[in-house]
Amino acid sequence: MSISGWRSAPVLLGIVSFAAILLLWESVVRLGWANPFFISQPSAIADSLSRAARSGELWNNLEVSLREFAIGYGASVVVGILAGALAGRFRIVEYVVDPFLWFLYSAPLIAFYPIFVLWFGLGVPTVIAITFLLSVTQIAANTLRGIQSVNPGLLRAARSFGASERDLLWKVVLPASVPMVIAGLRLGIGRALMGVVVGELFGATAGLGFSIAYYGALLKTTDMIASVVVIVVLGVLCTQALSAVEARFDSWRTGPG
Amino acid sequence: MPIPSSKYRVLVSTIAVLVFLGIWEIAPRAGMVDPTFTSQPSRVFAASLVIVPSGDFLHDVSVSLSEFAIGFALAVGFGVPLGLLLGRFPVLRYLLDPPIMAIYATPHLALLPIFIVWLGIGMQSKIAVAFVGGVIPILVNSMAGVRGVERSWVTAARSFCAREWDVFVKVILPASLPGVVMGIRLGVSRAVLGVVVAEMYQSQAGVGNKIMLYGSEFRTDYLLFNVLLVSVFGFTATWAVRALEEKLWTAGK
Repeated sequence: MSISGWRSAPVLLGIVSFAAILLLWESVVRLGWANPFFISQPSAIADSLSRAARSGELWNNLEVSLREFAIGYGASVVVGILAGALAGRFRIVEYVVDPFLWFLYSAPLIAFYPIFVLWFGLGVPTVIAITFLLSVTQIAANTLRGIQSVNPGLLRAARSFGASERDLLWKVVLPASVPMVIAGLRLGIGRALMGVVVGELFGATAGLGFSIAYYGALLKTTDMIASVVVIVVLGVLCTQALSAVEARFDSWRTGPG
Repeated sequence: MPIPSSKYRVLVSTIAVLVFLGIWEIAPRAGMVDPTFTSQPSRVFAASLVIVPSGDFLHDVSVSLSEFAIGFALAVGFGVPLGLLLGRFPVLRYLLDPPIMAIYATPHLALLPIFIVWLGIGMQSKIAVAFVGGVIPILVNSMAGVRGVERSWVTAARSFCAREWDVFVKVILPASLPGVVMGIRLGVSRAVLGVVVAEMYQSQAGVGNKIMLYGSEFRTDYLLFNVLLVSVFGFTATWAVRALEEKLWTAGK
């Protein structure tokens, strides 16, 4: 009883803090202490959201952004895990891939955006390419690290009990590296979302990032912040979902490490 | 045993990079790809010889660097103390954790147009983006650093009659330093990204501004030189912090 009470305290305080922020925001504007042109206000944003939802604009933008996200991220999951696994299994692949991975990992990849526009044209394909590139490096790097961090003792033990390469992969290496891989997938989601939004900011005709840029250019702060709110919610939902998956896959571990 | 394997590693990596550069150089010459789209290492190098001596270059670099330096310094100056505070006082943390996590999960560059509306297209909006990009990982990791401090150390210090302040300065602060530095490392790359992308979005000067300009002019070689410049800067800055980090970890052991 006391434990559940203790656990719910952070959640309760979190809800309180969100409510307080919204209340403060709304009242500061209502009392005339801040200019709603700049910071808008929660009630106006809620209005804007419900209007966008009724007119179908919200769903249209959401659909465009989610499709780009799904294609870019989906491709990066397949390619990233495959590349990471190959590099983790074969030394030589690791050494070959390593400098490029490092470069891509530390380079501000969005700076390649104008080149992608040259290659793929303005719009959806470029957004997908940016999304893919941003998340694939994270996923590949994490998969590689996950496989490298498999306890060599486990491998030796399995080998000495006559495990084949195939058994090693499926029964030792993959399960042991799953937590790292899933952490990569979670971090990759954040980067993919960044790719979608920024790609759309620069050049798109629809999508959540586009609508932020569009309303920003028109100085319609309320509609702009409404789109940002949708992106925040999307980001939190995605990260939470992957965190839940992560916790589940990691639950079989009993001891530390 | 480790020395030959690391030599082998460097050899293979170098060959891979050289092969990549070679293909990149030869493919356009052989007419397999259009150099307008891919440029070539030799052209990028030639572009660097044109760009670097020009006065414009120095101006752009100094604008971008000062935006980064101010934004990032603000992020460190604000993020580290707040993170330490939140790590120390759970009630404060429970209150502020959800909004911080919500910002952490959001692509911070989505706020770019808002900053432009608030602060204009000059340097201020770039500083703001660099700040927001840098401050969140710094804050979160400083917080985690404090929470990760071995409890028995705090108890030990207390049982030797250390005051609250002593515990904080002499035990918690040094013990949470690796977390703080890790946050700074993650913050560096996000702040660099923030400055460049903000300049690409709307600006009057800076390396990001030039990237966008050259992109719209189809001058791939000029564009790539600037992209490389930013990448090298991001890489070096991250690497420097990582070196510091490793030193701290080994010092802590």
